[in-house]
Amino acid sequence: MERRKTTGEMSAAEIAEVLTQVRAGDADAWGELYRMYAPAIFRFCRRALPTREDAEDATTEVFMKVRQKLGTYDSSRPFTAWLYKVASNHCWDMLRRRRIRQDLETGDLETLPLEHPDPGQLERLQAEHGSREVRRGLEKLPDRARMALVLRYFADMSYDEIADTLGVRRAFVGVLLLRARHQLRDVLAGKEAALIRGAAGGKA
Amino acid sequence: MSHFDEMTGLLYLESQLDEENARGIAAHAASCAECRELLRALETEGAWLRESLAGEDEAVPGRLTAAPERNAAPWGWISALGLSAGGAYTLWSGFVEPWRAQAAQAGFTQGNLFTMLFFSGAFWKGWDAMRSLMEFSAVAVLGVLVMWLLRRRWRSFPTIAVIMGAMICSLTIPSVASAAERKHGDPNYTLPAGEEIKTDLIVFADHTQINGDIDGDLIAWSRNVTVNGHVKGDVIAFAQELRVNGAVDGNVRAFVQTLQLNSTVERNVMAWVGDVNLDEKARVNGTMTLGAGQVQLDGQVVGDLLSYSGDANVNGLLGHNAMIHAGHVTIGPRADIKGQTKVEAHEQPEVSPSAKLASPYEFTLVKRGYERNYSSARFYWHQVLLWGASFVFGLVVLLLAPGFFFDTERACRKTGQSIGFGLLFLFATPIAAIIVCITIVGLGVGISTLMLWAIAIYSAQVFVGAWLGERILGEGVGIGPALGRLALGLVILRAVGMLPYLGGWISFVVVAWGLGAMALALYRYMRPQLAPAI
Repeated sequence: MERRKTTGEMSAAEIAEVLTQVRAGDADAWGELYRMYAPAIFRFCRRALPTREDAEDATTEVFMKVRQKLGTYDSSRPFTAWLYKVASNHCWDMLRRRRIRQDLETGDLETLPLEHPDPGQLERLQAEHGSREVRRGLEKLPDRARMALVLRYFADMSYDEIADTLGVRRAFVGVLLLRARHQLRDVLAGKEAALIRGAAGGKA
Repeated sequence: MSHFDEMTGLLYLESQLDEENARGIAAHAASCAECRELLRALETEGAWLRESLAGEDEAVPGRLTAAPERNAAPWGWISALGLSAGGAYTLWSGFVEPWRAQAAQAGFTQGNLFTMLFFSGAFWKGWDAMRSLMEFSAVAVLGVLVMWLLRRRWRSFPTIAVIMGAMICSLTIPSVASAAERKHGDPNYTLPAGEEIKTDLIVFADHTQINGDIDGDLIAWSRNVTVNGHVKGDVIAFAQELRVNGAVDGNVRAFVQTLQLNSTVERNVMAWVGDVNLDEKARVNGTMTLGAGQVQLDGQVVGDLLSYSGDANVNGLLGHNAMIHAGHVTIGPRADIKGQTKVEAHEQPEVSPSAKLASPYEFTLVKRGYERNYSSARFYWHQVLLWGASFVFGLVVLLLAPGFFFDTERACRKTGQSIGFGLLFLFATPIAAIIVCITIVGLGVGISTLMLWAIAIYSAQVFVGAWLGERILGEGVGIGPALGRLALGLVILRAVGMLPYLGGWISFVVVAWGLGAMALALYRYMRPQLAPAI
């Protein structure tokens, strides 16, 4: 699966050149790098975190981390993938630090039964709800569910990367994603009570 | 092959199945319309999610247009320092300097300035004019605060209209009706002899003279208060001088520079005063609790006496126990103390041979000032207890409000910004609370604010300690690691606080730091959610 292109105009060689200049302490290059990627990272944080203010803070902090850790970046990997990894770790860390009952959520998710979907109903749901409503619905999901969907369907992370970021077993990522899809369906269908019951203890 | 479930379908679509299983699913789907339909619905949902999440309908905020620089001075830091400087200047020029000038005019020396600030500063001549100004200031401060909190709604004209309307209403709303009779605006208020007020009387005036009777409480904010008549309730006075010549059936509670009691008080006397003088004809039938510069007791106190003062001179009858904590204590020839006498003072009390004491007095020598005895095990044990208390407090905060705890700890990372805001709140909050106390909102709100402020000052060490522990041990998740880091951080803060001279300053910075971090965290909770979801 091709990772989302954030930079558009810049080739890998050009990005590598900018990164070299940043490492050498070139402030202009750092500014250019920031301008290039800040919108994408802000959108990522905006989807991963519950509020806009959190996303703003997180974006700034992610880039502070990027600057500190740029030396550890392996240039054989796509820079965007590394950047999203830093951002996702930071966002998930923020969310975890606000929550101390995370283990309960994991337990609940593993044992909760899933209803088999009606394909027709699913299509109607998609037809009735626009992108904006989906993003709004996303904000109502428990942190882990929201994060899983964002990592997979916005940042295009692999199951291994998601497992690593969220600190879960790889085999659990599929369950997590499916559960998150169900929760989003419930929210969009106005069945938030079911969501609250399902995620009891999940959102501290 | 039987129908597959949704989980298997999703894993198949996301290429997470091994080759053999994937082939089986594909083969089954080719021959089963129901499962093919499920796969199609799941695939469409995946594409729908990708498309929805990729949508862009929210601009990148202006504050993110410039790349973060580690050495760049944060706006908050600069503005907080600016506000602190402005606040300090306002505090000095608007409050301290006028009081100091007033004190100098009245013959008080600089040494008495502190007493003036607390006991009589707010009650100088011209207080009535200041009251209006303070009312306006309080409303303006509240208005600015609301505008600041809602600054992102500025484009919304209805919001502006609501705020401005509320401010105007708050200025024009008449005083809340109450049973009490209020007098203010007259520089000299006198209740003539022979007249009786059948309710509580609240007076704001330069000079207050009560020659008549009050069938209720007397509450006076005045430069001089003289009570010659009969007060059937309590006398509560905030004044430069309170002189009680008439009978009081209730309590006397005084926050004054000078208290002169010449009559009988049926219940208790509690006073925070510069000087207190209980005339030999005076009698207090309850207890007497004093925090004073100078105490002269020539009259009778039927109940207990508890006195904290600079100098204490007891030369009257004390019907029960006396606990006197003072710099210097004199027990005169006419003193007659029926109960136990305990004296804590900087030197041995002077006891007249003619004084009558029911039992020999107990004397405890108190060292001058706060002297740390680093060679004493008790000092270190005391520090351990203080550490334990702060740790338990932190534990309670962590358990009751983990979100706030971690957010505040995180806000501590913004060191300059936190300290700047902390200094601002450290000085501005008591000023605002005092203004609130004496103006439109009320004593209860003001005192509650002061109590919260005191709690916040104590809490500051908890958050800075947690931050410090995390800096040393690294980040951790959950209660256990957070507690370990808190414990370590508090140990270090307490150890550093024990350093001579430097420790006090460090503790001050810690208070400002933690206070600012709390303010930042609270601001985060309060700021409005305006942007549409993206």
